[in-house]
Order: sequence, then structure tokens, then C-alpha cells
Amino acid sequence: MTTDITVPADLWEGETEGVITAWLVNDGAEVAQGDLVAEVMVEKAQYEIEAPVSGRLSITKEEDEVVSKGTLIATLQA
Amino acid sequence: MTPACSLERDSQTLHRPSVAEGLALEEALLESICHGEGDFGLVAWSPQDRALVMPRRHERLEGFPEARAALAAQGWPIQFRSTGGTPVPQCPAVINVALALRCRVTGSAAHLEWGYRRLGMPWCDWLSELGVTAPNLGEAPGAYCDGRFNVRIGERKLVGTAQRWRRVRGCRDMAMLAHGAMQVGETPETLVGVVNAFQAAIGDPERFSPASHIALGQLLPEARVEAALPGLLARLAEDA
Repeated sequence: MTTDITVPADLWEGETEGVITAWLVNDGAEVAQGDLVAEVMVEKAQYEIEAPVSGRLSITKEEDEVVSKGTLIATLQA
Repeated sequence: MTPACSLERDSQTLHRPSVAEGLALEEALLESICHGEGDFGLVAWSPQDRALVMPRRHERLEGFPEARAALAAQGWPIQFRSTGGTPVPQCPAVINVALALRCRVTGSAAHLEWGYRRLGMPWCDWLSELGVTAPNLGEAPGAYCDGRFNVRIGERKLVGTAQRWRRVRGCRDMAMLAHGAMQVGETPETLVGVVNAFQAAIGDPERFSPASHIALGQLLPEARVEAALPGLLARLAEDA
């Protein structure tokens, strides 16, 4: 089963874009539910993103790529 | 957004650590919230030494090692922080205040805006009490590390703000660290010059303007800011 990791849709107002500032695990790594996997910066705020489930991480947005609210940044294959 | 808070006034004084120790104090504050050790925390600090502080992602910039060496040679070693934004000088002329809260995330939007107002509005009230005219929150075009929620005086940046959000262990609550850095002493030219030196060293053509910044000492040269600081911390604790 595949689970999406997205930028939270309710994090900020308006249409300001953010940027992925860091992936904390490598593409293809096995992660556990709750592990920190990425950091997104918007409005000078660093927001840590966790793995919603356990699985193998497949990154779809690289570091320094611009993201909007709700953007798919990775998937987890259980 | 509902902050679930029980007040712990463990720090009503100004700490005088090194820059590295001050940044570690803030990280420890956030971690204490994440580990459920409290729902609220405050720390105020002003460094004894100086450094140019930026998010770690700047380390990926081409030419960063050379820029780091150049700034160190000028007496401004580079250090990294966990909040967002761009390079900011830290030195004894700057007072930092970090507010950490445990927040129960509901369906409401705009966590970030809420956090900035939670830090910035009491700061504006405190400045008004000191006699500063019409402090407000907003952008300061031309300022380094600009954002939508600086504390401004006459549209010049006095306090830069930034945040970090982390999940509280074992539940859906979030821990927020909101940080403000207020220039009290020195002149804007001095600190802007440091950031512009980094810009030059890294090969970025953007330059920042001293006219977009202001120091509290320029407005209130007689003010005893450290003596007044507990008033700011008390205001920040009021809503906790």
C-alpha cells in the first residue's frame, strides 16, 4: 500500500509558497511511523514533517524545490 | 489553534551565554515541550560573543566554505540555527526572546500567522509602554532576513522573527518555538554591513539597506532595556 506525504494544507494563510529545506532520510530508506523525514520552510518558519506510516520512502520533491500547501513531496510504500 | 498551557516562569532574567549556548537554550526549550515537560517556556538571552547565524541549508550554497572563512576572518564566524529565514548577525547589541508553546492543532488554518502574532503583539505593547510610537508588525523591504511579521518602528525593522514547529511526542499536539531578535545597540549600518559582507563573499548580488533597520538605542538612548525586559516577558506570559 502506498501512502502520500504532503505539505500540510492548513499551515499558513494565502498562497505563499514554501521550500523543502532538508530531507532527513535518504531516498529509498525504510522509515518508521512518526520519524522526522523532512523540513519545509515558509514565512521564515521551519516545519518538521513526519512519516505518517512506516514504509520505504520515495522522494518526489528534492531539497530547495518550491512547494505549495498540499504538495505531494514523497510516498511511503508499506 | 488552541494553546494548551500551564505557566512555568522559570526565566525572567536576561541570560548572557555564547551564541552557541543561546541557540542551544532555545533548542532545549522546544525539546522540553516536545517531551511533555511543560506547555510553556520563555528564554531571553543576549550573546557575549558574535556570529552570523543562518539556517543550515545555506551550507549548500556554492562558495560557502570560502564565505565562511572570509566572515570568520572579519570576526564573524558562521553558526546555524533551527528556525527559518536568512543570515542574521548575533552580538551583544542584540537581545533574543524565544517563546515555546504546546499547541493543540484543530482544523483551523494559519498556525504560522497565529504564532507570529502571539509573539509580536505583546512585543508591540511593551514598546508602546516604553514610549515608542506606533510599533507594528509587517514587512521592511530592504532589510536582511525580511518577513511579514517583523516588529517595525516607522516601517523599519526592529525585531526579526522566525519559528520552528515540531510534533509533541506521542500525540497530535505541536510544539512551537517563536523567536525574536531585537537590535538594541550598535547602528544598523554595522550589522547590515556584516550581512552584506556575507552576500559579497557568497557572490549574491542582493544588498540590504541600513535605512530599513532601526536599533532601540536610536529611539530610546536613555532606556534601561535590560531592566524593562521582565515587562516584555510578563506580557508574553499573560496569555499562557
